[in-house]
Amino acid sequence: MNKKLTKKDLRRVFRNQLTIRTCNNYERQQNAGFTQAMMPVVEKLYDNDEEKKAAYERHMEYFLTNDITSAIPVGISAAIEEECANNEDFDGSIVTDIKTALMGPLAGLGDSLLNGTARPILASLAISFITSGLGWIGPLFFVIGMSLVSLGIRYLGVFKGYDQGIKLLDTIQNSGIIDNITELASLAAFMIVGGFIPALVQITTPIKIGSGESVLDLQATFDDLMPGILGLAYTLLMYYFIKKKKISPTILILVTMAFGIAGVYLGFLG
Amino acid sequence: MSIFMQALLVSIFVTIAFIDSHTLQTHIFRPVVVGPVVGLIMGDVQTGFTVGVTVELMFLAVIFVGTAVPPDPTISTAIATAVAILGGGGTELAVATALPVSFIGQIASTVQNSVINVYFMHRMDKAVERMDRKAMVRNNTVYPMLMNIILYGIPTFLAVYFGADFVAKIIASIPAKIITGLAIGGGMIGAVGFALLLTTIKSKKMWPFFIMGFFFASYLHVNMIGIALMAVAFCAIYYYFGIQKQVK
Repeated sequence: MNKKLTKKDLRRVFRNQLTIRTCNNYERQQNAGFTQAMMPVVEKLYDNDEEKKAAYERHMEYFLTNDITSAIPVGISAAIEEECANNEDFDGSIVTDIKTALMGPLAGLGDSLLNGTARPILASLAISFITSGLGWIGPLFFVIGMSLVSLGIRYLGVFKGYDQGIKLLDTIQNSGIIDNITELASLAAFMIVGGFIPALVQITTPIKIGSGESVLDLQATFDDLMPGILGLAYTLLMYYFIKKKKISPTILILVTMAFGIAGVYLGFLG
Repeated sequence: MSIFMQALLVSIFVTIAFIDSHTLQTHIFRPVVVGPVVGLIMGDVQTGFTVGVTVELMFLAVIFVGTAVPPDPTISTAIATAVAILGGGGTELAVATALPVSFIGQIASTVQNSVINVYFMHRMDKAVERMDRKAMVRNNTVYPMLMNIILYGIPTFLAVYFGADFVAKIIASIPAKIITGLAIGGGMIGAVGFALLLTTIKSKKMWPFFIMGFFFASYLHVNMIGIALMAVAFCAIYYYFGIQKQVK
């Protein structure tokens, strides 16, 4: 008799997927969370403890992608486990290969779409609401917006991932859909970074050259030339340090703080 | 409200915020939310909004990707808001508090990922071994979430209950130039986050959009909302003229 997962089972998978990073660890990353996400599936589909244990053990292997987009491999895995339970010739270990194939593309997609695009946009909107006197509307808007993004993608990921099953892996790998979305997210991230620099990377200098009538105010000169040019220059310098010199971002943040203090003492920042 | 109650409520909120960041991710753990909520608890919502906005702007661009743990924005905003309200200092005081605390939070998160959760994950391995489903859920979800109380909740309580005065005094004894320097450095750390985000994107052909975004903001003074809307429009253009043609 064929066993089939119902909508109710998938909703349970969705709820368990929310724990994907509760036990996030540097040894095998989101493995424990992935296993818990698969619990409703495994308990429903397999009859004896031996089969269930084999299924759990394969999901306890290394898994790491973005927390939110991880719902897609969870949904696909549910479909694969269903196939595996109904078809004796089907080798369940293929699920690990499919999960591994999805980790890289979905991590890149999730990071640029959520951290590089959705969160900065919604947060800057919330800040604008607060600074224009709308008070609590700002934080409320931010939380509702981010909840829709976070929970919406997870819900769709589980259900679509299950519906499409292995087909979705094929679509993802061959139609270039992930590449296309990632490309659009990269475009948005680049434009937002460029456009947010004048507001968010604030550097001004009080240096004045000369004296009396012919004094040259360096900051005024920069502002005439190109407002925000110092912030742009500093961002590109940091880019160079991370990309070419492989310096850790945490160290660069500490150096930046020290640079700020030095700048005030030596009088070239302020 | 007594300071005990305030410290207790702030630490409960911080714990819930950390649980949110590990589960639902409604993002109540971001400064723009933490600041006002802690302000409400401490009886000065206005300062809460100001600190929330300031710290959010500072961390808006601190985008760490992959497995890297960023300086923590949650516990630092909570303590900075409490210190700013109790110590009667302005935003500069809040920034000077938020930055060091964010590094302490970063260390706590690293310990959580590299030691504590590795321990619970091995316990889960054993739970799978004996097919104890309840123990599996306990070790993946319940125990790690309870650890958030110890890692973040209790330190927040101690910092607000005993520390706010103390922190305010320490900061009062720091020369004004250093505080100003920290605030200036805080205004610049966005450069590091932005640079990191740009290094993770492989595609070289997106640089013109970076330059365009910068020019719109720099010369035409388009604000952040305008830039975000333009990014959406340019995505649509890129899709219709670039991607859709290739697909056909």
